[in-house]
Amino acid sequence: MKKLQQGIRPWLIKYLALPSDIVLELPRITIIGQLHVYIENHKGLATYSETELKLKINKGFIQITGSAFVLKMMLPEEILLEGTIQEVKFVPE
Amino acid sequence: MKQVQDSYLTGYVTLSVTGEKPELFFQHCTSAGITVWNVRKIAPDRCDGNLKLRDIKYIRKLNKQTNYKLKFTDRKGYPFLFRRFVRRKELLLGIILSMFLILFLSNIIWEVKITGVPKDIEEKINKQLQSDGIHPGAWIFSLKSPNEIQQKLVKDVPELLWVGVEQKGTTFSLEGVEKIIVEEEEPIGPRDLVATKKGIIKKMYVSNGLAKVQVNDYVKPGDKLVSGVINETTKEDNKEEDKKKEEKKELVAAEGEIIATTWYEVNVTAPLETSYESLTGNKEKKFFLKTGNFHLPVWGFGTPDYKHIHREINQNKIKFLKWELPVEFVETTLNEKTYTSVERSQEEAVKAGIEQAKQELTLQLGPDAVIVSEKVLHETIENGKVKLNLYINVEENIAKAQPLTQGD
Repeated sequence: MKKLQQGIRPWLIKYLALPSDIVLELPRITIIGQLHVYIENHKGLATYSETELKLKINKGFIQITGSAFVLKMMLPEEILLEGTIQEVKFVPE
Repeated sequence: MKQVQDSYLTGYVTLSVTGEKPELFFQHCTSAGITVWNVRKIAPDRCDGNLKLRDIKYIRKLNKQTNYKLKFTDRKGYPFLFRRFVRRKELLLGIILSMFLILFLSNIIWEVKITGVPKDIEEKINKQLQSDGIHPGAWIFSLKSPNEIQQKLVKDVPELLWVGVEQKGTTFSLEGVEKIIVEEEEPIGPRDLVATKKGIIKKMYVSNGLAKVQVNDYVKPGDKLVSGVINETTKEDNKEEDKKKEEKKELVAAEGEIIATTWYEVNVTAPLETSYESLTGNKEKKFFLKTGNFHLPVWGFGTPDYKHIHREINQNKIKFLKWELPVEFVETTLNEKTYTSVERSQEEAVKAGIEQAKQELTLQLGPDAVIVSEKVLHETIENGKVKLNLYINVEENIAKAQPLTQGD
């Protein structure tokens, strides 16, 4: 059953043009210049410091590095990060 | 950021978390549905973040499950401000006192305005009001009703015919009407009545003096109509006949009304084509705030696509308590108007011309003159206009007083 679901999802995206972040439960990341990163659909905070933010996602982590980081807002599945962003990296588990 | 926008009103605190991986405490918070913002990592073992005042009770519960040291470092927002304010007794006292002061000041009379009467009567009214306890500084609620004041004033100040008393906030406005005490007319010196215009006498009524003309007489300007010189011998007075037989002149002020038919030749032109404007009923209202020459539109933007516009402007000063602010509220009504032109026939134009001539003449002669008849002497049409030469008969009083010069 689960396998069928896994198989049907890429099909849904392809033929019904459903947004992939919702169907596949992937994070949606919006970056505004170097200033802001807005991450939706993450699975929790792993580490946070002035220079690094690591968020759990479905498979692995998102690692954002930079400087002067402030978490402008934290909601259950959303984070708004402010600072000077240098890198956004996907780290597999 | 919508979630944190009202945080200033509801109040928020800054939470300082100390321990290993302090940021994970905020992760716990968000998982529990508590909104956290402005999270900063200050030291490897310390993390600060803001949260709403109403979420604090959940934080306490959360902390029982974890091992972090929590400290509230800052309190911001309206509830804290209010609490701080209430704690300052002197400020609160000041506000209560100022409330009482405003209440007190708005319940005493500030001004007694008297209009419509000369200065001396104004002074009298003022004195009377003072003795009745109506003066600047008196309590408003200790006064009688305006109606009673009105009656009392009219009774106590005999020069007043009527007085209107109106209370507008802290101002008492009195509008008086002075009784005009009619004094006897000064005796007029001896005089004649002479004609001011040429005409034919139609009616005569002489109340004093000796008539020199008769009905149907033709008079020229300056002709003596009624003489102020009465020869005593002509008077049928028995006593005088008994006493003095000699001729002696008596001088009187001639008085009377001499109605004569006068005539005027008037030239008028009446156009065959006339135009007038009328409103169609379409209108739009606009509102502005005006200071100096600057108009700030408040309501009603854009101009309606009317061809011709008739504007009605209504301005009102805005008041604060009792002072007028230099700001005016302007209401402009734009009415659509149309021009209609009408062509008239020659007869209609002539009629209109005669009507116009009559009106002009009555304006010139005053309300006592009566137009008896009119006749068109000559009529030409030139450049779309009718030129009329009219002959108008009028009945009017032509008598004018002329003092008799008395030889010293």
